[in-house]
Order: sequence, then C-alpha cells, then structure tokens
Amino acid sequence: MVWVETIINGVLLGGLYGLFGVGLALVFGVTRIVNIMHGEFIALSAFIALGISGLFPDVHPLLLILPVVVVSFALGYALQALLVNRSMRFPDPLAPLLLTFGLSVIVRNLMIEGFGVNPRTIRQGDFGRLSVDVFGIHIGVLPLATLALAIVLFIALQLVLRRTEIGRIVRATADNSEVVRLMGVRPSSVYNIVMGLSFALAGVAGLMLALRTTFTPFSGVERLLISFEVVVMGGLGSFWGAMLGGIALGVAQLIGLRLNSNSGFLYANLVFLAFIMLRPNGLFGART
Amino acid sequence: MLLEAMNVDAFYGDLQALHGVTLHVDAAESVALVGANGAGKTTFLRCIAGLAEQKSGAIYFDGSNIAGLPAETIARLGIVLAPEGRMLFPSLTVEENLLMGGLSRRRGYWDLQRVYQLFPLLAERRVQMPNTLSGGQQGLVAIGRALMANPSLLLCDEISLGLAPVAIDQIYASFARIRDEGTAIVLVEQDVKRASSATNRIYCLLEGRVTLQGVSQEINAEKLTRAYFGT
Repeated sequence: MVWVETIINGVLLGGLYGLFGVGLALVFGVTRIVNIMHGEFIALSAFIALGISGLFPDVHPLLLILPVVVVSFALGYALQALLVNRSMRFPDPLAPLLLTFGLSVIVRNLMIEGFGVNPRTIRQGDFGRLSVDVFGIHIGVLPLATLALAIVLFIALQLVLRRTEIGRIVRATADNSEVVRLMGVRPSSVYNIVMGLSFALAGVAGLMLALRTTFTPFSGVERLLISFEVVVMGGLGSFWGAMLGGIALGVAQLIGLRLNSNSGFLYANLVFLAFIMLRPNGLFGART
Repeated sequence: MLLEAMNVDAFYGDLQALHGVTLHVDAAESVALVGANGAGKTTFLRCIAGLAEQKSGAIYFDGSNIAGLPAETIARLGIVLAPEGRMLFPSLTVEENLLMGGLSRRRGYWDLQRVYQLFPLLAERRVQMPNTLSGGQQGLVAIGRALMANPSLLLCDEISLGLAPVAIDQIYASFARIRDEGTAIVLVEQDVKRASSATNRIYCLLEGRVTLQGVSQEINAEKLTRAYFGT
C-alpha cells in the first residue's frame, strides 16, 4: 500500500514537472531558443504569488492563478519584445542562449538581493494540508489540484494551437518563419506571444510549487534540469510527451526517496539517463 | 505602371547576384522572367518581396518606393510571392495553409470558396496534410494560398518545377483566370517555350543582368537563345 501511495504521489508530482517543462517546450518548438532563465522565472513567479497573497491575504490560494498568469504573460511578452528578439537577429544561434543565461544569473541575484535566501512560504490556511482517502490511500488535495490544473492547461494550450487563428499562425511560424512573412505576419510578434504564454505556464508552475513547499531564489535553478529532462523525454516540442516525461521523473524521484531519503533528484536523473540511452528521440519525437 | 524596379543590385556577402536590373509590370499583365540556373531570377523576386537582405535600387509599387520595406509590409500592400519549392506549412492542413494566405485581410474576389471553385480537388483534400499530396496538388495549394491574399501582383517562382505535364497544364490554365480577376503575374520559368506562350512580355536574365526583353509573341528564338546562354 505504501508503494501504491508513492506511485500515485509521483504521478501527481509529475503534473508539476510537466508544467515546468511545457513552457520550455513551447518556446523551443516555435523559436528554437533554449531558454535558460525558465527556472528563474518559476522562482520569480513564486515570489510574485507571495507578494499578491500578501496584498489579499483572505483570497483562496488557487485564485492567485489569475493575477500570476496575467503578470507572467506581460513579463514574458516584454522580455521577448525588448531583448530576445534583438538577440535573435545575430547570425550566431548561441546569442539568445547566452542572453537568457546571463539574464538568469542577473534575475537570480536580484531576487537574492530583494528577498534574501531564507525559505519562504505562502500562507494558505489548511488548503495545503487537505487530503482525501481513497481505499485507505492518502492523496493530497493540492497535488491532485496541480495535476488536474496541468491537464486542463495542456488541453487548453492544445485547443488554442489547433483550433484558433493565432494557434495556426504560431504553428506556421514554427514551420517556416520566412514564409509567414509573405502572408503579412511579423515573426517577432508571434514570438512575443509565445514567450508570454511560456511565462504564463511557468508562472502557474511557480505558484503551484510555492503552495506545495518552501521556496528561495534558488528554487527555480534547482529545477531547471528537471524542466529540460521533461522536455527531452517528451521529444522536443511535444506537450503530452512533456507531461508523461514529468510523470516518469516524479514517480522515479519519490520511489528513490522512499528507498533512500537522501537521494534527492538522483533517481529521477538516473531514469532520465537510462531513457536517453534507450529512446534518444523522446517519446513522441520524430521531428528534427 | 503597377511595378517598376530600377537599377536593382543584390548581394550575397561579397558575391553580387544582380547588376542593375530594371523591369516593369503593368496592371493585370503577365511577365515571364527566364534564365539559366543562377541567373538571379529567384534573387530578383526576393528583392521585390522584401526578403533579400542586401540590395540597392528603387522599386516602385503603385507609385511608392517599397525597396526599404520589410516583407510582411510588402505582402500587406498586395505583392505576394509563391516561393520556389512551394514551401507549404507541413504541420498545417491544406485548408489551414490556404487560410494563412488570407491573413492580410485584403478584400477582393478571392476567398476560400472561390479558390475551391478554381481548384475543386483542394476542396476534397482540405483536411489532408500537404505532404500527402502529389507535387502538382501542392503547387495548386501554393497558388491558392497566394490568391487568398487578393494580390495585385503575384510572383510565381518556378511553380511548375518537377511537376508532371498534366499538373503544369492545370496551373497554367489557372493563370488566365487569375489575370481576369485583375492580378498581374510575374512568372519565373526555366521552360522558355511555355513561358513565352503564357505571357505578354518576357525578360531574360543572364548572370544577374537583363540580356533581353520584349513582347513574348514577337521574340526571336535565336536572339533569346543567345540571351539565355550568353553565347
């Protein structure tokens, strides 16, 4: 029974990891940029959520999603419009990577400067401790809500990309950013929206992380590796693959922790290592 | 005059691809641009469409100089390039590819229904992915996508390259219909015979220079051969 509980909790944790990765996968799929500051943004949104919850202490923690999404989208949009698009004009594809790497260092240190390094929590009443019993298994309501939220967001993202005009433009731009210009589309405007969406998803991930556990300015960078592993396991650019990859890593991590409580991310990383040796193209990755 | 390009030079790094190309197109006219591989035909179309990065010279369209404008602005003004190799969006269905063409929201004769009337086959294939279509069918999608923008000038870059003769016939037959609705056409074509029979006027490029121009029906075959090969 203990093992069943562990696996279920691992699956629920996987929902969070899927959320970490999906924004990264979206940006890479459309712009081919490896966004190193994705982790910092997860941490920053945790602090944004903390700030907003400080202003409205009586609001249910899950309602923080709305303001966090709005603020994150705006930040991502502005970052792409002001900086990343400029770096993409360099012929060297390393320029955007270096930019986001540099920004991640700057943003992390600004967070340390502004918020300190002591672990913080968002006060949320009893919500974080609620659990339901199913056949004698304790399942936390918050992790359950996280997975449900992740699935809802994935479906929503999929619908936007498949069924709307802006989704069509995003897919076409990912296919060929020169030819869309012949249809009157400015690729950089598309990238702004995509980065905004990616940050909004990272913002939700940061909020759910902040509700689940304590966080510091380093909480993002510690999970950047997980985010990348999720994306690679899913196959670059595949969202459902990212979700399944996240679940595999979540289960591996919790089983590992049960075997040895000091193992941290070790088992998750071992599973990733085994995975890339067996399926180097990812779960759904055939495109190159 | 719909389009007037004057002394257009274009470069790829240190290599000069066009040397002072001057060309004009009247409204609803069709013009063929012929020449051997590497003569600069594609480069010239890319200059007009705003995709060439290093270029100089003036390009007047509807009376204003568009030489410095980005491709997306030029597309909205009504110049649409159907690029070499068709360049359909592989992750979009046939219909979604066509709808991409309509994004500039230019009003006019062409819309999804009219494109399907012109190429009924595309209506049957509307939910299919482009890579499941034959080359000729992909060519029809490329033309349909360009028409969706209701261009006043359509630039077709070797749209018939590598296609079966039947498919080429269908594409050339559609050009007459397209011009009837008021769109001027510039055709880049390697098949000189086909190009001259389908157009009003013809320009021949050789090594980035215009070596011959004239009315298609009156052009002297021997002169054209010399202009084409530079012998």
